[in-house]
Amino acid sequence: MQKAYLMALFELAEKDPNVLLLLADSGTAYDELFKKYLPNQILDFGIAEENMVAAAGGMASCGKIPFVYTASTFLAYRSFEFIRNDVCLQNANVKFVGMGEGMSWSTLGPTHHTTEELALLRVLPNLIVLSPSCPSAVGQCVKFAYQHQGPVYIRIGMGGEPELYDKPVDVLKNQTLKDGSDISIFATGSVINEALKAAEMLSLKGVSAKVIDVCAISPFDRENVIAEVKSKRGIVTVEEHNVVGGLGSIVSEIVAEEGLKVNLLKLGIQHGFAKGYGTLAQVREQNGLDHNSIEREISAWLSNGGAK
Amino acid sequence: MEEIGKRIRKKMFLTAYGQKAAHLAPAFSVAEIVYVLYKKILKFDVKNPNWKDRDRFILSKGHASLAQYVMLNEVGILSDEKLNSFCSPGNSIGGEVNPHDCPGIEVSTGSLGHGLGFGVGQAIALKIDKSPAKVYVVVGNGEINEGVVWESVMAAHKFSLDNLVVILDDNKIQKMGYTADTMKIRSWKEKWEAFGWQVDEIKDGHNMDEIYDVLSKPNEANKPRVVIANTIKGKGVSIMEGDPNWHWRMPNKKELGVFMEELNITPEEIEQCKKRI
Repeated sequence: MQKAYLMALFELAEKDPNVLLLLADSGTAYDELFKKYLPNQILDFGIAEENMVAAAGGMASCGKIPFVYTASTFLAYRSFEFIRNDVCLQNANVKFVGMGEGMSWSTLGPTHHTTEELALLRVLPNLIVLSPSCPSAVGQCVKFAYQHQGPVYIRIGMGGEPELYDKPVDVLKNQTLKDGSDISIFATGSVINEALKAAEMLSLKGVSAKVIDVCAISPFDRENVIAEVKSKRGIVTVEEHNVVGGLGSIVSEIVAEEGLKVNLLKLGIQHGFAKGYGTLAQVREQNGLDHNSIEREISAWLSNGGAK
Repeated sequence: MEEIGKRIRKKMFLTAYGQKAAHLAPAFSVAEIVYVLYKKILKFDVKNPNWKDRDRFILSKGHASLAQYVMLNEVGILSDEKLNSFCSPGNSIGGEVNPHDCPGIEVSTGSLGHGLGFGVGQAIALKIDKSPAKVYVVVGNGEINEGVVWESVMAAHKFSLDNLVVILDDNKIQKMGYTADTMKIRSWKEKWEAFGWQVDEIKDGHNMDEIYDVLSKPNEANKPRVVIANTIKGKGVSIMEGDPNWHWRMPNKKELGVFMEELNITPEEIEQCKKRI
């Protein structure tokens, strides 16, 4: 997804000199493109995220379109008040790109995991929060962010995620990746790949699970949730994020606000910090977010009458 | 000159009087600095406050909002009616500056340590666009306890922001006490110099001639500049001057007499304030 992000950004920056790439000593190999061809459009602020975000607000007030790019945990947590005051409160045209969704920094442990930021950021007025699942969705998010006048946050993975779309999609609308009639699984980010495999496993057991890709966390495609809730026996949410405040909470809110009745299974980090080290696949396993665990949890939930 | 200072302080006081509390002392500390900026230094267009080549002014110690709002009124950007809405319900202005409330404000401040980083971003953008505009940021001596200020100080040096001027309102007092006690800091000069800044000093931060002389000097090429202004917190009312207890409060009935006497306020003017609220 990193490559997709920087290639999409480079394409925009080549055409529009107001597009700037801001880093906090946080580059990747792909930055070389900017350094070589657009050296005046890449600015490294050093390991100082708060000032970088405040400066991005100032640049936006002078007509620039800064894309602020660093590890999502340092961006969202350390700079939160700056995102709030200097960008969202000003409705400044700043774009944030958080490098490393969920547990992407899988060998580095909980200080590097971003398992609460969707909850934090979705409460901010004016901020669009996007959590794409695959490289082409990242490209679409970058294009959307550029065209949208106002702040946008994009959470991206770093693990060479597989492509899921053969044509550009509307990032503000939920997308069905696999059809099904018994239950619907809403997933956000690249962990949807685990949900897709789990759905295949469920189909062998006679459970028809629809898998829906949720890119836009805020604003949220409410109508899609309402339609699924009304037509399914149960709803599952899967997120590489704390189940408190993220996708599962959003769906719960919609269900309650609409006065609907449905059983809901929220899969994700169960209000703790992510455990363990290893590859992303291994860390997902240790935290119940691999396809086997997801399938097991859903099957158990179904057999306990979870979905009526 | 002294009369101007007195008149501005009187206006600030009458704007805020009737509120339970206001940051009078922090605003009085920068009264002359903000006056000289608006009257003699800043280039701006009253009819078009968003003019792209305007000089930017950021009051990073946003709690001194009275000083900026009164000057925006003096130059004709803020109406009397809006000025008098200070801290009231409705379409009003508040105790910290916000651009949504009033034209001529660059960014919301109040949470300390934000204004300089925002100004660094503006200075970078203006340099990219080859604009002649400069960025002026007033920071407080307590405010710069915030670590992020020093991130901004580093960035301004790195990006060679010779279009950036910081005015440090060094009144030696922060919210609860003396800066020399709170963080054991007695001198700022060598700290800014160590970060590669040009450092100038205003010996008397209430002397408008000296303020103008120092602020009107150019930055050295490729260097951001800090002007350390020696000021007195609560300047202009003897019982407030240099006393940390006045950071955020209004005079009681007994103290009001001192304010009225020293700022030439009549009983009728106090009555008018009461009616407004």
